[in-house]
Amino acid sequence: MRTVSKLLLLAGTAGALAYPWLVPNYYLVYAGVLTVMYAAMATSWNILGGFTGYVSLGHSAFFGLGAYGTGLLITRAGMPWVLALLVSAVLVTVAAAVIGVAAVRVRGASFVIVSIALVSVMNLLVQGWRSLTGGATGLQVPAPFELSRGQTHMVFFYLFLALLGLVLLTWWFISRSRFGGGLKAIREDEDKAEMLGVPTAAFKVVAFAVSALFVALAGGLYAVWFRSLDPIFVFSIVSGVYMVLMSLLGGVRHLFGPLLGALIIAPAGEYFLIALGESQIHLTATGVLLVLVVLFMPEGIVPRLVGRPKGASIREDTAEQRLQEVKG
Amino acid sequence: MSEPLLSLKDITAGYGRAALVLRGLSVTVEAGQVVCLVGPNGAGKSTVLRVASGLLAPRSGSVVLAGEDVTGRSPQALLDRGLSHVLQGHSVFREMTVAENVRLGGYTVRDKARLREREEAVKELFPIVAERWGGIAGLLSGGQQKQVEFARALMLEPKVVLLDEPSMGLDPKTTQTVFDQIDLMRRAGVAVLLVEQNARRALEMADVGCVLDLGAVHISGPARELAADPRLGALYLGGAAARNGPQA
Repeated sequence: MRTVSKLLLLAGTAGALAYPWLVPNYYLVYAGVLTVMYAAMATSWNILGGFTGYVSLGHSAFFGLGAYGTGLLITRAGMPWVLALLVSAVLVTVAAAVIGVAAVRVRGASFVIVSIALVSVMNLLVQGWRSLTGGATGLQVPAPFELSRGQTHMVFFYLFLALLGLVLLTWWFISRSRFGGGLKAIREDEDKAEMLGVPTAAFKVVAFAVSALFVALAGGLYAVWFRSLDPIFVFSIVSGVYMVLMSLLGGVRHLFGPLLGALIIAPAGEYFLIALGESQIHLTATGVLLVLVVLFMPEGIVPRLVGRPKGASIREDTAEQRLQEVKG
Repeated sequence: MSEPLLSLKDITAGYGRAALVLRGLSVTVEAGQVVCLVGPNGAGKSTVLRVASGLLAPRSGSVVLAGEDVTGRSPQALLDRGLSHVLQGHSVFREMTVAENVRLGGYTVRDKARLREREEAVKELFPIVAERWGGIAGLLSGGQQKQVEFARALMLEPKVVLLDEPSMGLDPKTTQTVFDQIDLMRRAGVAVLLVEQNARRALEMADVGCVLDLGAVHISGPARELAADPRLGALYLGGAAARNGPQA
């Protein structure tokens, strides 16, 4: 089984690296960039959602902050784009840690509402601060390379792929660490975890901030790739919902769950957009999918594929055998 | 008579603005001793354990652990000082493996060598834990889950273990296994404060029994003598002992 997994991983990596060279046109490269970007974002979301069980619908706030941070540092401070990307991501992570101290004090539905409020506040803030951000008209970011649009898609496909690899590695390391063990305990029973000495408050804030870091990096890369920032899109609750949906669909307990979810939902979203036009009907399809996943596959696709864990303690001896045992 | 490892003195405690649950309760547990708290529902048995483990701060009275006054300290602080609390019902982390569950018991220990040593020790003490080490804890039977909880509780080599109704929901055979494990803890020198609904069975294996009623120790004494005391049944059957007045 381990060999099969390694072969699948190798084939998947080779397929991803070869993808831009195999597809017949740049539109499909563009769709690939979007898919990999969402895969990275969903896996980042899963650092918080998957390990701790805290469902944030407002992670697009960090995507938007990362995008605007990078764009503003390039356009207003004249920073090189790589430096702007990193500085912006660090600033967003610090902001997320500060926000996290207050946000993760509440659990369940209250946390979901707080996370939605966060993205709405950020959206209003960016739209209202016209002198800095350009307001509702958005922000234009200069091109990072002197390449054609298609070649730019090729470059950013690999940049987002590198980010995805980094997030996957981070998730993998956390899942095997003492920190990850504490986060999983929080997911199952926060009070009990605290009783056993897990510093629950600090761990939740760290998970929130690390999760925000990678989403902010995705936002920064989006800014220099797409070059036109629309606050309605980058601070959209819908993209936050996408991160949740992708993770739920693939399986939040698994490393590759959110990636698998992204591989299904991002291309499907693009398809619906082409088939149904610039209407909002594709959102209905997303909503229906979310309901179906929650109702019929709450654990996601990956657990279905790998099967249920073995080792249930179902008694295998008969009543007769037990009676003999009692009689001695 | 040795010094008590855990001593609760004149404890009054309650939840919020509700009436007091514990009213001047005192109880002590020595090393290698099992003290069993029995009593009707609502007598305050589980509340005693919550006060002892720091989950509930008493309104008055003191909690002394190994000679140190730990009244009002957090559960984590008490854990670090050698007090472990196994909660009522099944409290394993169901989606985690047995290994992950047991390791959480030693979460505050950073010395990997000591952790490995403790893992081996609890595996030896609870063979089922060793056998199911990589399995999902939630898939174990009730008795096996209870043993995982015991193993987790012993990871830090506690001086005092608080057990809240460990036989709850278990069949008689599994209950016997659980009580055998409690006996093993006693032999290892651990002070055990046990709360049980299965009063007669628990008093048969305990050293000291305390019958609680209306938030105070109503009768206490050697557990086996208490098990034969007709007042125990009377108290369970409708508070006759309460009408006869308390005895220490």
